[in-house]
Amino acid sequence: MTVLSLPETLDLKASGPLKAAFLERRGDAVEVDAGNVRRLGGLCLQVLLAAKTAWAADGKSFSIRAPSEAFVETTRLFGAEGALLSADIHGVQS
Amino acid sequence: MDELEAIKVTFFQECEELLADLEGGLLAMQDGNDDGDTVNAVFRAVHSIKGGAGAFGLEPLVRFAHVFETLLDAVRSNEVPATPDLVVTLLRASDVLADHVSSARGLGVVDEAVSAAMAAELKACTDPNAAPAPVAAPVVEAAAFEAAPVAAAPAEALIGADDALDDDDLGFDFQPMTITIDEQAADVAAAVGNVWTVSIRPKSDLYRKANETALLLRELARLGPIEATLDASAIPPLDLLDAEAAYATWTVRLETEEDETAIREVFEFVDGDCDLEITRGEGLNPDAALAALLAGEAPAAAPAAPVAVAEIPAPVVVEAAPEPVAVAPVVEAAPAPVAAPVAQAAPVAAAPAAAKTQQIDVPGPGQSVIRVDPERIDRLIDLVGELVINQAMLAQRVGEYGIAPSSNLAMGLDELEQLTREIQDSVMAIRAQPVKSVFQRMPRLVREVASMTGKQARLVMDGENTEVDKTVIERLSDPITHMLRNAIDHGLESPEERKAAGKNPEGVVRLAALHRSGRIVIEVSDDGKGINRERVHSIAIKKGLISPELQLTDEEIDNLIFLPGFSTADKISDVSGRGVGMDVVKRSVQALGGRISITSRPGQGSTFTLSLPLTLAVLDGMVVDVAGETLVVPLAAIVESLRPKPEEVRPLGPVGSVLAVRDSFVPLIDVGLTLGYREASPPPTEGVVLLVEGEDGSRAALVADAIHGQRQVVIKSLEQNYQQVDGVAAATILGDGRVALILDVDAVISLRRREPPRPVEPTLIAAE
Repeated sequence: MTVLSLPETLDLKASGPLKAAFLERRGDAVEVDAGNVRRLGGLCLQVLLAAKTAWAADGKSFSIRAPSEAFVETTRLFGAEGALLSADIHGVQS
Repeated sequence: MDELEAIKVTFFQECEELLADLEGGLLAMQDGNDDGDTVNAVFRAVHSIKGGAGAFGLEPLVRFAHVFETLLDAVRSNEVPATPDLVVTLLRASDVLADHVSSARGLGVVDEAVSAAMAAELKACTDPNAAPAPVAAPVVEAAAFEAAPVAAAPAEALIGADDALDDDDLGFDFQPMTITIDEQAADVAAAVGNVWTVSIRPKSDLYRKANETALLLRELARLGPIEATLDASAIPPLDLLDAEAAYATWTVRLETEEDETAIREVFEFVDGDCDLEITRGEGLNPDAALAALLAGEAPAAAPAAPVAVAEIPAPVVVEAAPEPVAVAPVVEAAPAPVAAPVAQAAPVAAAPAAAKTQQIDVPGPGQSVIRVDPERIDRLIDLVGELVINQAMLAQRVGEYGIAPSSNLAMGLDELEQLTREIQDSVMAIRAQPVKSVFQRMPRLVREVASMTGKQARLVMDGENTEVDKTVIERLSDPITHMLRNAIDHGLESPEERKAAGKNPEGVVRLAALHRSGRIVIEVSDDGKGINRERVHSIAIKKGLISPELQLTDEEIDNLIFLPGFSTADKISDVSGRGVGMDVVKRSVQALGGRISITSRPGQGSTFTLSLPLTLAVLDGMVVDVAGETLVVPLAAIVESLRPKPEEVRPLGPVGSVLAVRDSFVPLIDVGLTLGYREASPPPTEGVVLLVEGEDGSRAALVADAIHGQRQVVIKSLEQNYQQVDGVAAATILGDGRVALILDVDAVISLRRREPPRPVEPTLIAAE
């Protein structure tokens, strides 16, 4: 299990590093820490969705833990929370 | 790997900006501006650095940033008061953070002891009662800590939502629904009135121009409640995904009283970067939605791939609102109704508030910047210089033919001159930059020097946006650095001394830039003890720099510190006084065609004034004849020109003489004699006198043989092509192709001053 801490701003500049960060962790179960996120943009949303699909294909666990308010709110705005969050909100309780 | 390196480079560039923001914010706090926005901005800067560093696994940086951030978070929530002392600590912490960034970048090494001490200090500030904890906190731990203050609110909200979710899960289980077409049609028809379907297909350019779909969705949500349906089917597998390309598209159901124009306005800034389809009613159109339903497929608006439907409450919607979730049949049939109860738990005010902060970040369209190789601009400037010379030559030739000034040819030439000048100004403007780039490095310097010397100093900056030629800016840094060091090390007293003198223990050092009569003036002043003239005078005599019998004015004594080999520090300190003194500063300033002077008041402080030409390329000058040589006197220095009458010239001393100008006497200086063109001065009454004013305001009357007129000349550096010559600022090429020297008026005045009253030997130009 590796932890990937998402930066505060997931904008245009962050999408490349985010993809690279996921590729580096490919093959391991990953826990994405979304507690710092203040801004989530469309590009990084795509990366997150693609990563989740990739992890599902690999049969590895992919979870988003402790998402910040902004992260949850924006994911919802994008209509993507079902795809990203619904099954994985376990981190929130902690 | 290259890609990752490139990303890292971007990260470090951002770090530079963030560190500047951090420092700017802290300085604003120091000035008493500790409102929430400033504190937040400071927190965000550190937080962003930490976030980015975490992504690259830069552990030491993350660890330090985390401790720093924790304290800032406490300040932000008013748990720790932002006292002036604390801000000073925060400023020092920002320096250590900057060192960590440099170290992560491979530039220099962080002093671990300093960093650990700083971290411990920050921790102590965060929680004075806590036992000192070990510094090491791994990334994960940092993130977990982070989750506490930031994510607490949503956590609660979501826990509540989760409970609700359990209850509702059953109700929302996938169950085949019997739908009658009539019912559907009726519902659709009813909703069509104020329901819109907006299909958004962002292109990659939308993101590239720093626009954001999330922002568009938020803007739409301001018009009324929206439900966005994401189509992620076009997103390729992760390894094939271009991180900067747009794949996802959205279909948004919007309920609003506004018309189509208002909806289009939301997309005004992304015109062309986003395929947009706005239709009244549900789905692409009611018929299409129905056809899809009939065919037993998922609704047109909700494709098969990872899909969810979300309800974003508009600002006014509360839980009790009568039309949540289930207005449209399309929504009921969508595969992820789970979203609905969660969405309702979302704080109602969050959407507009977040929209507000995000708006600021989006730059306006059409702001473009061109990057140009500086060499191309330099070439352009050279060419314009040649153009000016050529135009001058042309004018001179025409003059030689005796053509009337009112003739077409002469008028055409005048216009050409005008145009040339405009081109020149425009080209110069390309290279003009604000001095900010140099100034912003100084606050840290002041802090460091102050802590090294055990003094308390506050830097006040003024006129950071003053523009000056790029070539000048590049060479400003060293002199300013040296002058600031000098001001703190030698100028300011220790806090105890200051207290004893009834001053604030914290000294103020002021750095200012301003334009004055076509030059840029940089002033570095302190409110310290001022120059100890007695000591300066005795040191200058002891070191043989001046003769003991020489009577000097206060001002002249002050300026002795610029003499080579002069250093007043009793012991060599870490900061200044390493043998490179103010004379080095003076030389580097002179090499730029500038001047430096000092004024000082005992007990009140000193001011260094640095004056530089705005550009190193052109100059307006008066062309004069001296002993058969053509010289150019900078127009900015000339107050007036006159032909002296015999009764206005009074002898003074063995060889000197003064000129009576109105109610005052001004020393007469024969330029030919001073520069060594001749050994004896002709009577001043036979020549022309230029009344000039030096940078320090002192006046002198320069004697020349004749005036040729006023001209714009292109400056050719003498230092670059030959060497520095006292009394000469630079050279130029005249219209007739001859080289003429440009006079350094201040140097000529001070050359005369420095010489004792005895016949001057012509050693200046002839020497070497």
